[in-house]
Amino acid sequence: MSVDATMHVVRPSKRDAVLDWLQMLTGAGLILFMWCHMLLVSSVVISPKIMNAIAYFFEATYMAQVGGPLIFLTFLLHFVLAARKIPFRADGQVTIWRHARMIKHRDTWLWVIQAVTAMVILVLGSIHMWVVLTDLPITAAKSAARIQSGFWFIFYMILLPCVELHVSIGFYRIAVKWGFVKDSGRSAFKKGENTLFLTFMVIGVITLIRFMLLG
Amino acid sequence: MQTFYSDLLVIGAGLAGERVAVEAAENGFNVICLSIVPARRSHSSAAQGGMQAALGNCAMGEGDNTDVHFGDTVKGSDWGCDQEVARLFADAAPIEMRRLAHWGVPWNRVVPGQSFYFKGGQKFEKFENPENEGLITARAFGGTAKWRTCYTSDGTGHAVMCTMDNRCAELGINVMDRKEAVALIHDEETCMGAIVRCLRTGKLETYLAKATAICTGGFGRIYKATTNAVICDGGGHILALDTGMVPIGNPEAIQFHPTGIVPTDILVTEGCRGDGGTLLDVNEERFMHIYEPEKAELASRDVVSRWMTHHMREGKGVKSSYGEHLWLDIRHLGDQHISHKLREVDDICHHFLGIDPRKQLIPVRPTQHYTMAGIRTNKDGAAYGLKGLFSAGEAACWDMHGFNRLGGNSLAETVVAGGIIGDKIVEFLKGYETKFKTEIINQQYRRQEQRIKDLISGRNGNESVYDVRHEMQEALMKGCFVFRNGPDLEETVETLEKLLDRSSRVGLHSDGAGVNHELGSALKIRGQIKLAMCIATAALNRTESRGSHNREDFPERNDRDWLTRTLAYWPTEDAAKPDLMYEDSSQIFEIPPGDRGYGGGTIIPADENMVKERTITKK
Amino acid sequence: MGRELQFEIFRYNPQKPEVAPRMQTYKLEETPNMTLFIALNRLREEQDPSLIFDFCCRAGICGACAMVINGRPGLACQTKTKDQSGKITLHPLPVYKLIGDLAVDTGVWFREMYAKTESWVHTSKIFDPTKEEERMDNKVAEDIYELERCIECGCCVAACGTARLRDDFLGAAALNRIARFHIDPRDERSDKQFFELVGNDAGVFGCMGLLACEDVCPKELPLQNQLGFLRRKMGITAIKEIFRK
Ligand SMILES: Cc1cc2nc3c(=O)[nH]c(=O)nc-3n(C[C@H](O)[C@H](O)[C@H](O)COP(=O)(O)OP(=O)(O)OC[C@H]3O[C@@H](n4cnc5c(N)ncnc54)[C@H](O)[C@@H]3O)c2cc1C
Ligand code: HEM
Ligand code: HEM
Ligand code: SF4
Ligand code: F3S
Ligand code: FES
Repeated sequence: MSVDATMHVVRPSKRDAVLDWLQMLTGAGLILFMWCHMLLVSSVVISPKIMNAIAYFFEATYMAQVGGPLIFLTFLLHFVLAARKIPFRADGQVTIWRHARMIKHRDTWLWVIQAVTAMVILVLGSIHMWVVLTDLPITAAKSAARIQSGFWFIFYMILLPCVELHVSIGFYRIAVKWGFVKDSGRSAFKKGENTLFLTFMVIGVITLIRFMLLG
Repeated sequence: MQTFYSDLLVIGAGLAGERVAVEAAENGFNVICLSIVPARRSHSSAAQGGMQAALGNCAMGEGDNTDVHFGDTVKGSDWGCDQEVARLFADAAPIEMRRLAHWGVPWNRVVPGQSFYFKGGQKFEKFENPENEGLITARAFGGTAKWRTCYTSDGTGHAVMCTMDNRCAELGINVMDRKEAVALIHDEETCMGAIVRCLRTGKLETYLAKATAICTGGFGRIYKATTNAVICDGGGHILALDTGMVPIGNPEAIQFHPTGIVPTDILVTEGCRGDGGTLLDVNEERFMHIYEPEKAELASRDVVSRWMTHHMREGKGVKSSYGEHLWLDIRHLGDQHISHKLREVDDICHHFLGIDPRKQLIPVRPTQHYTMAGIRTNKDGAAYGLKGLFSAGEAACWDMHGFNRLGGNSLAETVVAGGIIGDKIVEFLKGYETKFKTEIINQQYRRQEQRIKDLISGRNGNESVYDVRHEMQEALMKGCFVFRNGPDLEETVETLEKLLDRSSRVGLHSDGAGVNHELGSALKIRGQIKLAMCIATAALNRTESRGSHNREDFPERNDRDWLTRTLAYWPTEDAAKPDLMYEDSSQIFEIPPGDRGYGGGTIIPADENMVKERTITKK
Repeated sequence: MGRELQFEIFRYNPQKPEVAPRMQTYKLEETPNMTLFIALNRLREEQDPSLIFDFCCRAGICGACAMVINGRPGLACQTKTKDQSGKITLHPLPVYKLIGDLAVDTGVWFREMYAKTESWVHTSKIFDPTKEEERMDNKVAEDIYELERCIECGCCVAACGTARLRDDFLGAAALNRIARFHIDPRDERSDKQFFELVGNDAGVFGCMGLLACEDVCPKELPLQNQLGFLRRKMGITAIKEIFRK
């Protein structure tokens, strides 16, 4: 390495900056979506009628037909962007696992969890979206029927924690990476995040049980 | 044999070394800088206090100027310094501080308005002039008439070292770390460079240069208890002494600090006592007031160290697995004070002792701290005896410190002397050409190679280098520490003589492969004992007490016979002792020898005519 | 009598490739206030003079002695054995080139870093020795010093998963260095110029926010805040540049 190597003559590329923005924005967008999604789905706990009404509203306004595929695209884009950071080659995998085990550091483990859950979400999330979006309209009854049949309950019991973990870690990460949360606020924010994660998990599980019990 | 060539080879990349390198590089010369550790780890970065320069910006520094700084320095040296050099230094220091600011040092600045400060545990008020807002400010240090010590929080050395190393990076200077010089290449007239051991591979390399500068810092590590880094082991001094041509100036002038912690000997600041901390003995009773009724703990460094040592000799020391020590008590200063004003001390106690100074006592003892002794140079920084060899910083005896250096003056010396001497080297290099004699180069290379082979094979014996070193360190602690006296010094000289003999039989207990540390130590041990011997014989010879050199049997300062500087030469490799020569301390006096105004003691005056002849008045 | 400590130390000397890397066990009796500096030196002087490790200041201020202590990068000289269990496992820092046993080459890595970040004040002004120094607000000076406190121990880089995955990643120490010059009013570099140095995946956009750097830094530098600040600053600079066209 010599000093000349840093004397750029070419214009600096803004590619990495743009991709980082997009990764963050798609992630943030998906978080927002997941929260709305939670409103829709868990409304069944209060009453299947409310859920049906919300679903109907989305359908009537064509938001489901257009929004659904849009979300799917965002989902894929986010995957492609975030995948730049995931080691797919064996030696990279070995390095990061060994590293995480070595330093026993919470935030490093959180990243590993995020990457692993991402893989699960990629597969299960795609299947889920495909199944739901090819079987419009959404109604509480159809959903209940689906969840009560086959292994769908287990399917969601895997997808749900993965999503909630990934979302809450992602939320935390955006905040610290971009400096929205400072070092002084970090531990409090993390606690808040954990509470949020638990709340969503509980609501999610209750929702699934409600679907199971919906006659 | 890998060979590197440059106009200037700087051995040592501390503040002094890099400052010299910068000066030469700015003038278009090709410079290589060598260091045992990455440059920023050099011990310069350990200095927390600050650098003295008479800027006179802060309220308590008002009216300060280079004359006052000069006077403090001369008195501090106990008239042992070269006054021409002290003058050069005092005059250049303010400019150098501003230059450092220009290069990026984040000096603390004057904040206008009212504020408070503590002295002797009491609170006083001061008012900073709004006109000086934003100029470089200063803090108080021992032995100075004004607040003159420029600083950056509690990391002055570190901050300046970063800036200097950045400047080297900017100029593209080749600073090579993990390189340890083991011998100079010279033909008894001219220095041609050095043989260097690479501390990545363990291999020897050759560095050839028109000019060579030794800036390797102090050599505290030949003592058992020292505040110095483990690399401050005299490597550079050994290079010079081994030539037989270059003398060590004032080897007996070694400074001791009262409060190094036990174990590890890390320095805790004088501020502890300044703010009202006390020293306690094994019975947890104060004792300083018995010896110094007036100043007690607040007497000067050398005085406190002296009494602490005395008290331990009386059997009042605390025994521990790391030897005897005393206690420093700052518990009564309270949480508020310790958390804010003595944060650094709090940290050291926490990290290295695992104690809370609010509740527990700090184990301390006098500890070697600084070497006024060094490679003797003239005021241009050119070493006596060899052409093309220079030295600067703590490694050198440029001699602005004489027998006692003032706090804040050594860090300032590194950059000020580095600048001045760098400039002189540039002058020397301009139009200078030399011949590199391959015969001499190869000879020296092979000699070093052979030494390594012999150490590894154990051809000369298998004395453990660690044992020999340990005994050398103990011998110095016994005879050449805070107090010295005839019988102890004679015993030390005797011990060292035996050790010097044993050192020739050192052999490795490991295989010496690669960056082996045992080999590194073994290559140095003989030279270290020679240095120790220089200290001991010079101290034995000097039958007076001056600055940090305290002879119990000769307590007065004797200007009549000893207004001189010791020059210790090591005549031949198999000599048992150094040749001691003497030269006058100063050719001129701006301030004729007199009372320091502190420390007490009697003075045997110098010859009046001599003093009169040499006294000049500043234009 | 103190505890008997058991040390598991990584051993490999690249100058002797025929001997494979291995863990070696040593035993040592604990003494009061023992630090790893004391312990390792005793091991070398009393038991195994071939042990290679680095110390310099032994006071936690030079950064020479960083190593992986029971899994965590940290400074050996300021690690008290008292705070560790009876078994202490030591490894060299990852990421850096191994010199031997516990010693690694941080020097070359950091000098490259200076070049990559152009770690010096960029100014067009010329120093005038006859003039008073340029004024600076004391608060600004203190803020700069806060970031200048880095001792280049390398712990933050060794602890960073990103740095282990990609060897061109600059790491927190380098990004902190950029932040140090960014807030220095003497440095005339524009955001765009800083962007050229660190506005990519080898620089600030490569950081995945793992924050191990923040958590291991022995000098407790505010790395998280600096990384966040830089990401925003560089991110915004990129967008401004795009719209300027
Ligand atoms: C704890 C402590 C606190 C101090 N605080 C202050 C203070 O507040 N104010 C003050 O004025 N002074 C202070 N001093 C003194 C001052 O820090 C030193 O005198 C000064 O920094 C020495 O600088 P230097 O450049 O001469 O040497 P150093 O900074 O010690 O540099 C020596 C260089 O030489 C290299 N080297 C050594 N041997 C070899 C070899 N054989 N081959 C190649 N390279 C070699 C080293 O790697 C290093 O780069 C303090 C000293 C100590 C120990
Ligand atoms: C509903 C689905 C998803 C949501 C809500 C979501 C959300 C997020 C968020 C908010 C982040 C933080 C972004 C950042 O740090 O810049 C993130 C990061 C990440 N996501 Fe997702 N994500 C989803 C699906 C996926 C999928 C399918 C994958 C891929 C396989 C994936 C892989 C990752 C990875 C690897 C990161 C870490 C990137 C980094 O640290 O730089 N995510 N995600
Ligand atoms: C536009 C896209 C989406 C639509 C229309 C949609 C719709 C639904 C519906 C109707 C249900 C009820 C169960 C069922 O009918 O099977 C459901 C549940 C669920 N969905 Fe989606 N979904 C979408 C995208 C996603 C994405 C991207 C994820 C995450 C990766 C996701 C995760 C889940 C989970 C975990 C459940 C179980 C919920 C719970 O128990 O609270 N969905 N979704
Ligand atoms: S930022 Fe901290 S951990 Fe990193 S090199 Fe600097 S001091 Fe060490
Ligand atoms: S650990 Fe590494 S990924 Fe970023 S937050 Fe620190 S540099
Ligand atoms: S030896 Fe300097 S930090 Fe540990």
